[in-house]
Amino acid sequence: MKPQRMYKYFISFCFVFLVAKSVAQENLKDSIKYKSPYGLRIGVDISKPILGLTGSDYSGFEIVGDYRISKNLYIATELGVEENTSVEDYTNSTAKGSYLKVGINFNAYKNWLDMNNEIFLGFRYALSVFDQTLNSYTTNTGTNYFLGNLITTPTATNGLIAHWTEFVFGLKVETFKNVFIGASFSYKILLSIQHPDNFKTLYVPGFNRVFESETGFGFNYTISYTIPFFKK
Amino acid sequence: MKKSIFYILLLILTFSACEKDDICLLPNTPKLVLRFYDVSDTTSKKDVTFLSIWADGKDTLSNYKSVTLDSIAIPLNVNTTETVYHFKMNNTTGNSIDNKFNKITLTYNPEEVYVSRSCGFKTIFNNVIITSDNGWIQSFTPSTLITIDNETAAHVQIFH
Repeated sequence: MKPQRMYKYFISFCFVFLVAKSVAQENLKDSIKYKSPYGLRIGVDISKPILGLTGSDYSGFEIVGDYRISKNLYIATELGVEENTSVEDYTNSTAKGSYLKVGINFNAYKNWLDMNNEIFLGFRYALSVFDQTLNSYTTNTGTNYFLGNLITTPTATNGLIAHWTEFVFGLKVETFKNVFIGASFSYKILLSIQHPDNFKTLYVPGFNRVFESETGFGFNYTISYTIPFFKK
Repeated sequence: MKKSIFYILLLILTFSACEKDDICLLPNTPKLVLRFYDVSDTTSKKDVTFLSIWADGKDTLSNYKSVTLDSIAIPLNVNTTETVYHFKMNNTTGNSIDNKFNKITLTYNPEEVYVSRSCGFKTIFNNVIITSDNGWIQSFTPSTLITIDNETAAHVQIFH
């Protein structure tokens, strides 16, 4: 046999193997199909009670939930109450109220086998109703020659409303069957916000600190449980 | 292996909480800006020599201890409706026998205005009335101001 022919022989031999292997894989894929659970997942944000225990300026509680509507899409919601005191150089104010967020999560993670982990991108619409109390303040005189008095008469403004949109990035890991731990980061952009007269809303429950650019950041760390309805 | 990536990401998220601290860069409570002019030529500025300034019952302002200047910015008391300032100057050698005095009294209604998170509240002064006991200051204008809410221009021109 000439060397050229031998090459041809080897190449075609390899090709046969390659095709055979891919056919075999397709057969494997078809024969075992992993079903994933669909259901209602509910949980709590564990970071908020922990923050509440470690500092006196904050208390909060949040319930999270989502419902799977298709392979990669979930309807998601968060419902919570928060109270936070903003201690600044010249003012001390407390925001207290509740909030609701509704939106969707898109799972961008391709799971191996029967795993149900998620790396998701989400979008929320959120609304908060809150009270803002200016507890105390000192006038900023800009000089040490005449200092401002500390005014400790609280001024409360009730029923303020803020609403905003959130972009969420996060992940969820199934640690035990149907039990998930998750973490997410959110970037928030205010649509509208109400301020007290001659003062400003410095903190909105669910939104967190309001930056000058009317944007905010948030984190949450959740433990949740899926109540499976069916598998698909 | 796959799960460990999740845990690492979780850890990164835990420690990446950040918050920007802004510092107060906006104008706060305005000072009263006075500019000194020559009484014989009211358009030209004239330095005040060996000028010292203090408010009633207080120490001399640290910026204005025997200084020679043609314009000054002095704070007003935000907790009362009146501030009395004493202006001492000496147009010769600085010997105490040549010291000249003048008292200026300002009455006003302070009003608190919210500025920002880092600046807090500032005070602006409304319905300002200025009176002088006619020492070395021969005249000044204006004697009333509707409001002092900034310090971008001189509020009062003083002739001596």
